[in-house]
Amino acid sequence: MSLDYVKFSSGFEKFMPKEYRDMVEHGPFGKKISVSQMGSFKEVLEEHPMCAGCAMTLFIRLAMIAFPNPEDTITVGTAGCGRLAISQAAIPFVYGNYGDQNGVASGLSRGLRLRFGDKPKDVVVMAGDGGTADIGFQQVLHSWFRKERFTTIMLDNEVYGNTGGQESGMTNRGAVLKMAPLGKKFEKMDMVQMAKVAGCAYVATVVPNNPRRVESVIKKAVLIAREVGSTYIQAYTSCNIEYAIPTDKVMEDAKNVENDRYAFSEYISDEAKQYLTERYGYKEFLQKPAAPAAAIPNKA
Amino acid sequence: MYLVADIDVEICAAKSCKLCTQYCPEANTIQYSDELGKDKGFKYGSAYVAVDRCKGCAQCVWVCDNMAKNHAIKMIMIDQLPKAALTDNITYGEKSTTAVLVSPVVG
Ligand SMILES: Cc1ncc(C[n+]2csc(CCOP(=O)(O)OP(=O)(O)O)c2C)c(N)n1
Ligand code: SF4
Ligand code: SF4
Ligand code: SF4
Repeated sequence: MSLDYVKFSSGFEKFMPKEYRDMVEHGPFGKKISVSQMGSFKEVLEEHPMCAGCAMTLFIRLAMIAFPNPEDTITVGTAGCGRLAISQAAIPFVYGNYGDQNGVASGLSRGLRLRFGDKPKDVVVMAGDGGTADIGFQQVLHSWFRKERFTTIMLDNEVYGNTGGQESGMTNRGAVLKMAPLGKKFEKMDMVQMAKVAGCAYVATVVPNNPRRVESVIKKAVLIAREVGSTYIQAYTSCNIEYAIPTDKVMEDAKNVENDRYAFSEYISDEAKQYLTERYGYKEFLQKPAAPAAAIPNKA
Repeated sequence: MYLVADIDVEICAAKSCKLCTQYCPEANTIQYSDELGKDKGFKYGSAYVAVDRCKGCAQCVWVCDNMAKNHAIKMIMIDQLPKAALTDNITYGEKSTTAVLVSPVVG
């Protein structure tokens, strides 16, 4: 876990596949990369078997570009569609049993702190809504109550996509799915509120139709988790297969869902605001100076 | 045969907004070249598709039509593309990439 693992071993350079060479020479390691440069540098994510047009794929792609230090990051995942792509990247990936991901990440982030001290090593969990809110629920909540310092990202496609369309706790009430033919009888779980109650230092909801915003929330969440506490991002990442969304309408759907029920929201604790400001030079949380009297329009 | 995205360099280069690149779900697929279109007098280059990575979802078509409002991308049967970029023929530069265009269907 350092810049060293993305170098060629001497003598092997000419035997490495083109993709690997491009990644070493033109990848994001050790550089500051942003979504505005997409299409001109080699991304760490490689080809993978997720469905054509899947919004979850786009979100994972953007998340990996947003990681502040990809060479010092480990991703943790679990059963579900997302791991099919998350595992195909030049970022070490740990695969827990279904639902174990936040327990695995707790141990991992503690172990990395023991081993590397203050040098930041980022742990990022990315798991489906079933993995996070149903089967992994207990471990997710406990990691938050214990203020474990890593980021949890829920890839919320509102269904068990990988196993053919069962309802999850995050499915909306009334939704009819292949394996929930009578329609869901309960409300969508409010994991955002639970994250706040459990003491997460940063909680955000996003939709991937705004790449810059995805980049911004991921960066903040990962940086805050280095020192302040648990951070949680809940991303709407539609399953075009189980919800029968034509692939060329996936972004239109994302926009509609954002306007309807998945508006951007961001909660950040005072401690986290101070930390981002002092440690990483964020300006957005600085107190705005009071407007000078002369600037107030005279209505008289 | 299957459909892949094809970007019209002259239409794209008139706008060069890079939006499709940011919305394609697949990594390393819609690339950007500062050079494309220069011979026709366009200054800012064009997007192009590494067709061997394209999954044919047409999301980029929606983005170019509705967000960029530029209509530069069409879905085309891969054997009907006259010339296309393949991952093997793309080289990375400092701020842009260059593709040697080849016939994508070999043999
Ligand atoms: C202990 C265990 N139970 C069941 C499964 C089968 N399984 C694999 S993926 C999955 C559902 C995934 O749904 P979700 O977490 O929402 O992710 P998605 O596929 O929708 O992204 C299930 C039930 C498993 N792998 N392990
Ligand atoms: S099943 Fe759904 S969530 Fe899974 S890869 Fe396909 S479209 Fe994406
Ligand atoms: S969205 Fe259209 S105009 Fe913008 S870069 Fe892509 S092809 Fe060119
Ligand atoms: S059709 Fe889909 S996979 Fe192909 S370039 Fe367009 S957005 Fe990317």
